[in-house]
Amino acid sequence: MSEAVIKFKDFHFAYLNSEVVLHDINMEIRPGSFTVLAGHSGAGKTTLCKAMAGIIPHYYGGRYAGDVEVLGESTQGKKVADLAMDLGLMLEDYESQLVSLTAGEEIAFGLLNHGFNPDEVELRTKKALEDVGLPGRENYQLDELSGGQRQRLLLASLLAVHPKILILDEPVSAMDPQGALSLYKLLNKIYQEYKMTIVVVEHNINFVLPYVTDLVVVEEGRIAAQGAFATAAKQVYEQENLRHMLPALWQIKFNLEDKFHLSLGAWRSEDEGLAEISKKFERVVVER
Amino acid sequence: MKLTAFTQLIVVLAVTAWVFILPVQAVAIILALELALLLYIKHDRLTLAAIGALTIFTGMMILLQLLFRSPLNVALIGGLRMFVMTTAFLCLLAATRIQDIAQALVEKFHLPYEYAFMLTTALRFVPDFLVDSEATLDAQSCRGYSNRGNVFKRFFSYLAVVKPLVMRAVAKSDTLALSMELKGFGSNTYKNMKPQRLQMADYLVLLVTLILSTYSFWVGKI
Amino acid sequence: MIEAEAVNYAYRRGEPVLNDISCKIEDGEFVALLGHNGSGKTTLSRLFMALVHPRSGCVRIDGDDIAKLEPADLADKVGYVFQNPDLQILEETVFDEVAYGPRCKKLLEGQVQKQVEQALATTGMTEFAQAYPRTLSFGQKRRLGVAVALALNPRILILDEITNGQDKLEKQKIMEYLQNINAQQNITIILITHDMDIARMYTQRSIVLNNGNKVFDGATQELYSGREDLQEWGLHLPVLARLSSEFQVQALSPAEFCRQITVKAGGTL
Repeated sequence: MSEAVIKFKDFHFAYLNSEVVLHDINMEIRPGSFTVLAGHSGAGKTTLCKAMAGIIPHYYGGRYAGDVEVLGESTQGKKVADLAMDLGLMLEDYESQLVSLTAGEEIAFGLLNHGFNPDEVELRTKKALEDVGLPGRENYQLDELSGGQRQRLLLASLLAVHPKILILDEPVSAMDPQGALSLYKLLNKIYQEYKMTIVVVEHNINFVLPYVTDLVVVEEGRIAAQGAFATAAKQVYEQENLRHMLPALWQIKFNLEDKFHLSLGAWRSEDEGLAEISKKFERVVVER
Repeated sequence: MKLTAFTQLIVVLAVTAWVFILPVQAVAIILALELALLLYIKHDRLTLAAIGALTIFTGMMILLQLLFRSPLNVALIGGLRMFVMTTAFLCLLAATRIQDIAQALVEKFHLPYEYAFMLTTALRFVPDFLVDSEATLDAQSCRGYSNRGNVFKRFFSYLAVVKPLVMRAVAKSDTLALSMELKGFGSNTYKNMKPQRLQMADYLVLLVTLILSTYSFWVGKI
Repeated sequence: MIEAEAVNYAYRRGEPVLNDISCKIEDGEFVALLGHNGSGKTTLSRLFMALVHPRSGCVRIDGDDIAKLEPADLADKVGYVFQNPDLQILEETVFDEVAYGPRCKKLLEGQVQKQVEQALATTGMTEFAQAYPRTLSFGQKRRLGVAVALALNPRILILDEITNGQDKLEKQKIMEYLQNINAQQNITIILITHDMDIARMYTQRSIVLNNGNKVFDGATQELYSGREDLQEWGLHLPVLARLSSEFQVQALSPAEFCRQITVKAGGTL
């Protein structure tokens, strides 16, 4: 069994002058997984993401107990810039994470800071822009890019340092369904190509259903469920107050499996689920 | 003719000195050259608006001086000097990218990198704030705040918008600072950039600038 | 009653945003204004609020053309709730925040009190009256936005993508408040959204815009009967709707669907 890429050990955290936000977190992110992190607003998902990046508690301060390990090493005592070479973080307000005036400079910024020589920087910038579908836009000013393009630019700047892990906090909250599907498709392409580990905070699990491997649910600062998607989803289903977080189709799946003592597939798409339900309940459809 | 930001900065600084050294007629010629250059580089509405604003500002300075009992010609010359200096900076901003200016300031003038980066950051966020301020004004308008009326009323309505904008600025700067930290912002930032090398054109311009700056020395001698 | 007649709008650069849009919304309707990002739905709603004016055609509220008016003039007829609640917080307490509008209109303090209290009650924000707006959760801030829009007792409420970025429970909560406002006070609600689940559950009528054109205007129900153009319009048919239509049931929730299908199957397969 490969070692987990991110490990929380008995981790507790409270922001400065604030209540405890994370209680007794024992959680692992498997290497090469595409994990979706779900939970109610305010449950602590963003805090968890920041803890994974080592920003909490070391950059913000606050009280904490326990430990967070990334790629086998504790985040304690590490500079967040060094951790960022292995783990890229995209926050919900990704626009404010963009620091430069042009696309090329944005990607070059992090690389130059870490001592890459200008030629290497140019090469990596070119590749990163191609990877996110913005080829040749090195000289584009920020205001020449649309919102979706700016998000992909930030993604490119995170990818340029070749991290092993990517964490995205509610990347599509302001998008329409098409935009959301398109971003996740891009993310999946990068995930497959670079064999990375991806953690995504997302309310609407339907968007990531085709790609997700693992599920972690946070409720009131505690882990309510974690594991491979199908297993963790069942755990979630069994807790009535969390059930609605699952895609409608999976709620139906578990419900029908219980009622009719069936075993239905681990559906990756609505079409797949619909097809199986239609087939199994053909008789019901035929009888009008 | 592509000059490095360093050369352009030197020229601008020289011009600010010249307005005091050179006779009025020369200064007036410099002004004419500057305006011609500026309009040649960028003749869009924004530039014209900027020139207009500077003219008004200069006019106000002249009036202020007159109010303090300065003789007319002194006030006018003072105004002219101010106008030439500010227009020089305007030319600089029109001709060079702010990133290059920042880099020159750090490389050649040894400005601490944090301050230089502020220039870029300010420019980076100005468009965002313009959008935000419009949105806030819209929201206020929808609540019943009427924007009609004289200039003063409208000015005060913009002031009322300041508070939510400042709050938003603070939140954004938080995220920005974190982002910069994550990206390793530090003394390396400018060290590893491609250095701006001086070319023939730069050396020529610098030479001419030097000659013109020491005008008083050799004009007397000849 | 609010209507647009042959309205056209384009940016200064010339890109057309709305092409010849006409629609009429009567008092008390609960309408979803659907469309992909960039379809023109936000622009249309801004036209309704006089935030912008059409290049041609006209917008009328209760029969009067609003071409010469600005949003402040309409604030007591139409309330507008913006997508970003953070951009408007001006005051120190929720109460003052909601009172801003009535005070702008120079109402007597007693009247201001009454209207604010009612707006807070209608949005379930009474308990937060003395709270500092920035300490509210995102969902609460969104409801504050609604309370602010209701402060001047408008008859029409326009809401721009207010369910974005919220979890299911919060979405349901705010939609229920809107349902009550519509049912009990007969306030017209125009909901700009791309969330087909929400539209299906809470609205009776839908107007769909696609690339600046009006492509659908009718009963919300009709959008869910297996139309092929939904995809073309950038909209996504929720799976519950597909299942409901396939199995000829009416189900607004997964549990409801399973209940109904169990009944139909007679308990066994």
